[in-house]
Amino acid sequence: MAISVRDAEKVKYREFMERIEAGEKIEADDWMPDEYRQTLIKLISMHGISEIMGALPEKEWTPKAPTLYRKLAIMAKVQDEVGHGQLLLRVAEDLIKPYGKTREDLIQDLFSGKLKFHNVFHWKTKSWADAGLIGWLVDGAAIITQTNMLDASYAPYARALKRIAAEEVFHAQHGEAIAVALAKGTEQQKQMMQDALNRWWPALMMFFGPPTAETTGSSKQEITIKYKIRKNTNEDLRQFYLTKYVPRIQGIGLTIPDETLRYDEEKKEWIYRQPDWNEFLKIIRNEGPMSQERLRIRKLSYENNAWVREALGLNTAVNV
Amino acid sequence: MGEKVPFYEEFVVFSRKTPVSPCQEQFTLLAPNHEIALVMAQENFMRREKVCDIWVVKRSDIRAMTPEERKTLERVDNKDYRTTKGYGYLVRIWREIDQGMLDEKEILSWSKGRVK
Amino acid sequence: MNREYKEAVVELLYQLADDDLLVSYRGSEWLGLVPHIEEDVAYSSITQNTMGHAAIYYGILEELGEGKVDDLAQLRPANERKNAIILEEKNGQGHWLYEEPRYDWAFTVVRNYFYEAIKKKKIDSLKQSTYEPLVQTAIKIDTEARYHLMHWQTWFEQLIRAGGEAEERMKAAIEKVWKDIGGVLSLGPNEEKIVSAGIIESEAVLKERFLADMKEKFAELGLEFPGEPGMERGDGRAGVHTEDLEEAIATLSEVYALDPAVPW
Ligand SMILES: [Fe+2]
Ligand SMILES: [Fe+2]
Repeated sequence: MAISVRDAEKVKYREFMERIEAGEKIEADDWMPDEYRQTLIKLISMHGISEIMGALPEKEWTPKAPTLYRKLAIMAKVQDEVGHGQLLLRVAEDLIKPYGKTREDLIQDLFSGKLKFHNVFHWKTKSWADAGLIGWLVDGAAIITQTNMLDASYAPYARALKRIAAEEVFHAQHGEAIAVALAKGTEQQKQMMQDALNRWWPALMMFFGPPTAETTGSSKQEITIKYKIRKNTNEDLRQFYLTKYVPRIQGIGLTIPDETLRYDEEKKEWIYRQPDWNEFLKIIRNEGPMSQERLRIRKLSYENNAWVREALGLNTAVNV
Repeated sequence: MGEKVPFYEEFVVFSRKTPVSPCQEQFTLLAPNHEIALVMAQENFMRREKVCDIWVVKRSDIRAMTPEERKTLERVDNKDYRTTKGYGYLVRIWREIDQGMLDEKEILSWSKGRVK
Repeated sequence: MNREYKEAVVELLYQLADDDLLVSYRGSEWLGLVPHIEEDVAYSSITQNTMGHAAIYYGILEELGEGKVDDLAQLRPANERKNAIILEEKNGQGHWLYEEPRYDWAFTVVRNYFYEAIKKKKIDSLKQSTYEPLVQTAIKIDTEARYHLMHWQTWFEQLIRAGGEAEERMKAAIEKVWKDIGGVLSLGPNEEKIVSAGIIESEAVLKERFLADMKEKFAELGLEFPGEPGMERGDGRAGVHTEDLEEAIATLSEVYALDPAVPW
């Protein structure tokens, strides 16, 4: 009996793989291999919570944005990021539902350190130029990652990413506009922008994660590619990013703080200085420059207003 | 005593065209329950249309807006800051250095990923 | 437009603009920290709309020769500001940003609800203003004001009806806000000029309309009516303000003040 059950599972698995290889999409209530579900849960809950935590570095500059127009634009932009968190957490919540888990569990996992947020959102911001840099180059990197999953085999994720990608067009141009204004502005403004780039370049090189599993001991990239969730490896995405953004960065007169950076025509790839992957390891243990501060403020606001959720959660029938 | 359950409940029918498209309202129908509503839905509203999913929702479960509330939906036309509208001038700057605009077409084309 | 009329118009415009600016500034501080993610998104649109309204009023002031919109919004010192004191108050204990902020949702709901309720009365009155640009603005922003009021009224009612701790917190917030809500109703030391020029109806008339609505709402929710709205800490329209405003201005103008003459 045990053997036939296992065979049945094998058949199901094969059929599942055939479906996704044929470009079919999977819905939340379709049968799926456990590895697929676990991979999705890990990926999408981390993606969702990173949007929420990623609101914080830019939020630091939202009320300080230089003009009313910029204040409004960055507010709309950060609002979108929180909205992306909302979309993605909903997708993740549907996936953890069979385990009796909810958003509350995801948030608690964030606080306990079990659920990590993206490495790029652990860094410090120092000036308005950092807000411009995030909107321009961090969002740029995020757009590369996210568009790479637009055709994901998991339909609810693909639907969320489609909405997100549409908004990212605004984010990309919003970020560029701030960066261009500074890079083409006064000496003081130019310097602000260059300093921000110097500060953030290592973080940008870390953004896509290490090229192989050697650095962190494990890497999900092969599994996500196998299941047609994403298309490219970490390194491919970094190469793609450099191709798209290096000419733009240099084109507006900024200097990339890596004198070894060059495009190797023969190998058809970018040569660049590896960031300090030890720093990366610290960050993914929540020991980055701002990890604890950002977790603290998120936790504080969550707990401080827990009474709001309790009040309305207990009284779902308060509609008149 | 027990309230009479009406045979004709109202259901709203929704359908999804492709796995990545949003669900769309089709129309309403009368049915005694969800199961019956579902087995009648496709032939009532999507006889000539290919869809990949259908939903039926009890109309009484839908909280629609009142006419008073609908008056709050209009927005002032001053939200360019939320769009790419104000950033058209970037075209010039990028053209100077042989770069294109990161518009919708360009960004969505990135979904192909890195092709070596 | 004679000088006296213009002065009255300018006076009221500053009140309207500064009120909306400070409310939206406090709203922008909440972004990312609201007790519920979906509400975080929804609230931010209200904040943006409100800052948009401030920008419209500052825009009219710019046309009247008062200076650039951003200079008006960001560079005027606290003692020249005309906003009501309750609107400049911090969202709660602690400081921006990583110094243990404990923003108070009950205070935020109550302040916004009362503010929007009064704002709606003013907008309705401005539709009859003798100053045409204000009539046009009132017509334009009416629908958003209506929406904001609906939003905060829903939160207000639900948290009170929830009973228990929520109701207690809401009652405390009502008591606190009521002590200074008179500042939002106030038309300031120059009320006489503003009203006699027919730019907006009198404070007494606006107050009566606001209180009539509130009495009804409080009765409906079984709340004790708190009586005459207070202005305990003084009249912001007369330039009386608190440290909270200085801090707010310093923060919101931090970048712009580096060099107000250049594009950002
Ligand atoms: Fe995002
Ligand atoms: Fe973004």
